[in-house]
Parts: sequence; C-alpha cells; structure tokens
Amino acid sequence: MPFINFATKEINCKIVYYGPGLSGKTTNIKWIYDHIKPENRGEMITLATETERTLFFDFVPIEVSNVRGFKVRFHLYTTPGQIIYQASRKLILKGVDGIVFVADSQEERHDANLDTLDDMIENLKDYEIDIEEIPLVFQYNKRDLPNILPVEKLRADLNRWDRPDFEAIATKGVGVLETFKEITKQVLKKLKK
Amino acid sequence: MLSLRPEEDRKLRDLLTRLNEESKSKIVLLIDKSGQLISRSESPAFSSDDVTFASLTAGNIAASEALSKLLGDKSLSHMFTETEEEGIYMILIAGKYILVSIFDKRLSNLGIVRVKIKKYYREIEEILKAVEERVEEESSIPTEIDVEDIDLDTLFE
Repeated sequence: MPFINFATKEINCKIVYYGPGLSGKTTNIKWIYDHIKPENRGEMITLATETERTLFFDFVPIEVSNVRGFKVRFHLYTTPGQIIYQASRKLILKGVDGIVFVADSQEERHDANLDTLDDMIENLKDYEIDIEEIPLVFQYNKRDLPNILPVEKLRADLNRWDRPDFEAIATKGVGVLETFKEITKQVLKKLKK
Repeated sequence: MLSLRPEEDRKLRDLLTRLNEESKSKIVLLIDKSGQLISRSESPAFSSDDVTFASLTAGNIAASEALSKLLGDKSLSHMFTETEEEGIYMILIAGKYILVSIFDKRLSNLGIVRVKIKKYYREIEEILKAVEERVEEESSIPTEIDVEDIDLDTLFE
C-alpha cells in the first residue's frame, strides 16, 4: 500500500524481491545499494544467519526526487528463500506494492522455483492481493552458470501472466538495474491509476 | 493507498511531539504495519535513521504477532524491548498502526511512557480514522503528483 504525505511531499512504496533460496535476491538489492549515489539511499539492513543466509529480510530505502518537489521512496525488501522460513516470507509481503520474482536458472533448482512461486501465490491470496493486478517482474538469474534451463522454459513455467522478464547475472550486475527500473515503473504507473 | 494532507500531518506531528515531551522520550514514531513511517515527533536530537527504524519495528511486530497467534492468542497489543540504555515501547493502534516511544532509561521509564500514551491514544486513533475515511472517498491520487517526471536514470553512478 503506497503512503503519500502531502506535507513532506513524500511517496513511499514497498517492493519485495521473492524467490527460492540462493536465487540471488540479496545479491540484487546489494548491487543496487552499492551502485546508487549515496545521497539517494538509506542504510542497508541485513537480518542474516552467521552463514549469510537471509533469516528474516534485507532492507534498502531508495529515494528519488522529481521536478515538482515530490520525493519517491522505494523500500526494497528481500524475503528469506529457504523453505523453513515460510512464515517469515508471508509477513514481509504485507502491504507490498510490487514484486520481483528472482528465479534460479539452474535446472536442479527449477522445482524450488516452482514451489516458491506457488508459495507466493498462496501468500498473496491470504492478503487478498490479486496477482493479476499487482506489479510483477520476473528475473531469470545465474545465466552464466552451466546446466541452465532455456529462458523459454523458465518463462513458460513461471511467467504465466506474461509480465516483463529479464535474464540476469546478479553477481555482475547484469540485468539488475533493468529489473529494478521495470518494477518501479510499474509501481508508479499503478499509483497513477 | 494511505495519504496524509498537510493539516493532518501537522495534527499528528503536534500530538506526537506533545507526547514525546510529556513522556520524556527521545522520539515518538507512528508507523504502519507494512513498515512505512507515517509521522514522528519533532525530535531533532534523534539521529538514527527513522525510515530503517520503521521497517525493523514493523518486522519485529509482525514476527511477535505471528508468535502470539501460534500460541493461540488472538492478538498482540504491545511490546517492550530494552537495551542497556534505552527502552523501546511499541503499542498497536486500531490493529494497523504502531506507536513507538524510544526513551533513555535514566530520564524516563515504562510507567510514565504508558500513562502518557494512554492520554493521547484515543486522539491519535481518531485522526487516523478520519484520514482513512477521507482516503476512502478520494478515488485516485491528486494531479499535483506527476509520476512521469520521475527519472530513475539519475539515481546511479
């Protein structure tokens, strides 16, 4: 749910990076954090285990000012991908304005992609969010690894709503910005409606 | 969508500032459950990042609420976290918003904070209710915001 403050001229939107464990959700927002101008970002928060697996969520606030003096603040969150954190994932989706589904392109991780997508659909239903309506972008990550599925296969199995999708190598920043720009564009467009 | 008009923002800010002064808190924040900072007291001395604080508070409340549900309780109404020097008291308003007081334990205590919150609780709740009713009546975002103007390309180095 976007929040607009007309006194401080701020618009706040929540974007969640969702996907199976180790698909690269944290890598995506870490890359954005590292490459954004310091004046446009807040502190990055990571709630992770000792082995750097996301335990609850990562969070990065990003601020964009526009010419009419309105500031848009995007709050980027990642969910914990591991199966055991199902309950935590649902909590993070509360009030979401846009979702990036980060899929792992490796063949052996495809079942995890499909299970996580089902889990996301269920969680959205519980919040009465219509997946047909919510801004959604797919990212097929790890395109540099061997044993990856063709994009057509990933698209057919995951992107059932024909949403914009991108190939990515998040560790190198490939496709990260494109994905981020697309989801913010969709979120802002929805706001206008 | 939730929005605050300047007069609503001022009312909330005034109330939170009064509450902050009377409870001798460092800062009082009003947050929604999805982690957005809605308003805060005028507390220039508070230097932490309030936006980040809001997102962590919402996460904290969400996890505790889920825990209380697991235990079979209906809902969570308030929470208290203590660090060596500070107390953080969080109370839910209308099940949707979180009012947070951060106080220095040498200058205030949980009892004072709770009494003072009780004094202002209803008033804050009423303002939020009025805001929701107004938002309900408005169909779309006003024309003064032109989202086309927003240029993401300038964001990155």
